[in-house]
Parts: sequence; C-alpha cells; structure tokens
Amino acid sequence: MLRFLQERVNKKTKATDAEAENNPLAQDDYDKISKKQARVKELMRLLAEKLGKENGVEGGQ
Amino acid sequence: MNLSINKPLLGLVVLGTLASGVCAQIQLPGAGTRPEAHMPAVPPVSVQNPFKPFDQPRFEKAARELGATALQVKTFGEDMAEIGAARAADDLLRKALPKFDEAVLAAEDRDPKAALLLAKVLVDTKSPLLQAHVRYHMARLFLSSDDPERAIDVLNEYIGSNINHSPLDGEAAYFYAQSLAEIPMIDAAIPRFNAFLAWFPEASERLRSAAHQRVLELELQKESRLHMLADGMKKTTRDLRKKKTDKPVQLDQEAYLEELDELIEMFQEMEKQSSGPASGLGPSNSPAASSALPGGEGKVGNLNKKPSLADRWGDMRDSERKKIMADVQNTMPPQYQKMLEEYYKKLGKADRK
Repeated sequence: MLRFLQERVNKKTKATDAEAENNPLAQDDYDKISKKQARVKELMRLLAEKLGKENGVEGGQ
Repeated sequence: MNLSINKPLLGLVVLGTLASGVCAQIQLPGAGTRPEAHMPAVPPVSVQNPFKPFDQPRFEKAARELGATALQVKTFGEDMAEIGAARAADDLLRKALPKFDEAVLAAEDRDPKAALLLAKVLVDTKSPLLQAHVRYHMARLFLSSDDPERAIDVLNEYIGSNINHSPLDGEAAYFYAQSLAEIPMIDAAIPRFNAFLAWFPEASERLRSAAHQRVLELELQKESRLHMLADGMKKTTRDLRKKKTDKPVQLDQEAYLEELDELIEMFQEMEKQSSGPASGLGPSNSPAASSALPGGEGKVGNLNKKPSLADRWGDMRDSERKKIMADVQNTMPPQYQKMLEEYYKKLGKADRK
C-alpha cells in the first residue's frame, strides 16, 4: 500500500510540475499533493514505530 | 487462475504482515535513502573552533551603545551568575530596546506578528550584537513553525556575520544542529551537536543534556531505514508545500519507491528464511529487569495547550492579516519580504490543532 500510495504522489507531482510550466498553479494545488505526501510519511512512520517497538535497532526514534 | 501479484499489492501484504508482528525481530542492513532536493547550503564544520570565549566588557560596551543604562548593565552582571550569560544578555537587550522586547514577547506568545516585528528590528539595526539576538529568535520561531530550512538560512547569517558578539553563540550553535536534524540532514547534524558539546562546555546543562540525547537518537535513527525513509518524506512534504515539484524533488520521490522496493524484497527474503513459530509470539529478547512502572511524570500531555502560531493566524480578523501582509510588502527589503511572505502563506496553510 505504501508503495502504491507513494507512486501516486510521484505521478501527481510530475503532472503538477508539467501543468505549472504552462500556467501558474494556486497554492491549494501544491497543498493537496503535500498532504498526500504527508499521509504516506505518516503511514511510514507508524510502520517504523510499530516495528521499532518489537525490535531494538529499528526503534531509532 | 492468475497467480501473479503486482508489486504494490505485494508491498501491502509484506509490510502489513510485518506490522502485525509476524517477523518482528528484524535487522535492516543497507544505507537507506535520504532526500537531496533543495537542501540549504551548509558550510563544513570548522576544525578550529571559530567561537571565542564571551567577552563581557565588549558586550557591555555594545549594549550601552544600543541604549542600555548603567543600572541595566549592572543588573546584567548580577543576573549572569543566576540565569546564565545567554539569558541575562537577552534580558538586558529586551530591557534596553522596547521594540525588540515587543517582538520577542510576540514570538513567545506565538503571535503571528512576531516574524514581521523581528524582521523590522533586524532591518533597522547595524549592530551585530542586536542582529545576533534577533536572528536567534527568528530561527527559533521558524524552527517551531516546522520550517527548519528557513531557520538554517537565518542561522547561516548569524554564523556569517554575528558570532563572537553575544553569549547566545552556544544556543545558536545548538539550534543550528537541531535545525539540521529536523530537515533531516543527520550526517551534518551529528558533528555539529558534537562540536557544540566540545566548544561550549559552559552551556546550560539543559542544552548539553539535550545535545547528548539527540546525538544518541540520531545515531540510532541512522540505523533505522524505515525512520530515515519517513524523515525523507517529511522533507518532501515541506518541499511540495513550498511549490517545489521540480526534477530534484521528483528524484527524491523516485528514490523512496526504490527504497520501498528494496525493503519489500528484503522482507520477503527474511520471510522465506524464517522457520518455526513467529518471533513476535515468543518471549522478548530484552525483558524488563524488574516488574515496575517506567519512570517519569505521571501526566497525559498538557491539558492547557497553548494555541499554535497557525491557530493564532487563523483566528485573526481578515483586516489584521491584511495589515501584516501590507506591512511586509511596504516596509521590508526584498530578501526579507520574500521570506516573510512565504512564511505567512505557510502559516495560513498549516494544519490547525
């Protein structure tokens, strides 16, 4: 799921970048992708913390 | 029946299985991935300590030139022993300079006007001492607003133009390392925390303990590929919010996919090699030495949490926000105008608690 979600954010980032070349986009457009990236980050962190609780090394934070 | 599994689905299954504890005792070798896009320029750590011991007579002379009275300077001398030179110096400048005090009070009160007020004091002064104190507070403000890159920019100015004027140098060095850690530029942060510890033995015990703790945490963080990946994604989240969608950001995102692929493959390999009962179901490898409650204060968070800067900005009247933005556009030189415009835009978009 993480991979799938990150792949979607990557595609959206590329599309936004291409679109912005032709006409400037609103801050809202960037905020939407940023929030998607933040959600992937949060899931990644949750996974890292869950594994970290059960494993000394992966509990880096 | 089609038995082929596509990679995204496999990722869900493998990582999901791991999260449920089936393969908990894992070691993850490898360097991991770190973001590289739009990193702030960070000069190398000096081999030689560039900081000189605090020169009290020089500081007091500069403070008097800024308008501090003889009594205020005398009080500073007395306060130094009690609260430390850094805090006493900041208090002295705040007493001597009402506009600076107003700006710092606003920052402490999480008032959105704080960044503008601090920038105004900075623009109006040529004193490297006052510049040092203003930049220190600006950097703290940006750091508390989840903007470590801007904090680094301001602290680079501090280090470039303002060191050896104020006893705040140690704190500035600490928050420089802290900002790098937040970005995350862990490899740059660790030597700077260590330099802070070596160069400022007289810094407050609170900061020195925090620096020791951060070095330990960062060393562990470097070993955790999963946390490192989450840290990189956090940086990219900020890049995207700042309208950065260009090639370097896209390359970072591609690297996250490659890292996820590598981790998935690694976990699959570990799954294949594992045999017997799931390790998550067995006894712990590091059981507690005694059955007791962990130490620490018995409370659940701060029930009277102060509103954040974003909350305060959101609660302002439209007219108040417009006035601040007009002030930014009309009174600031170009470099600070751009910095503050971006800062306030970001505040307006930040998640409110």
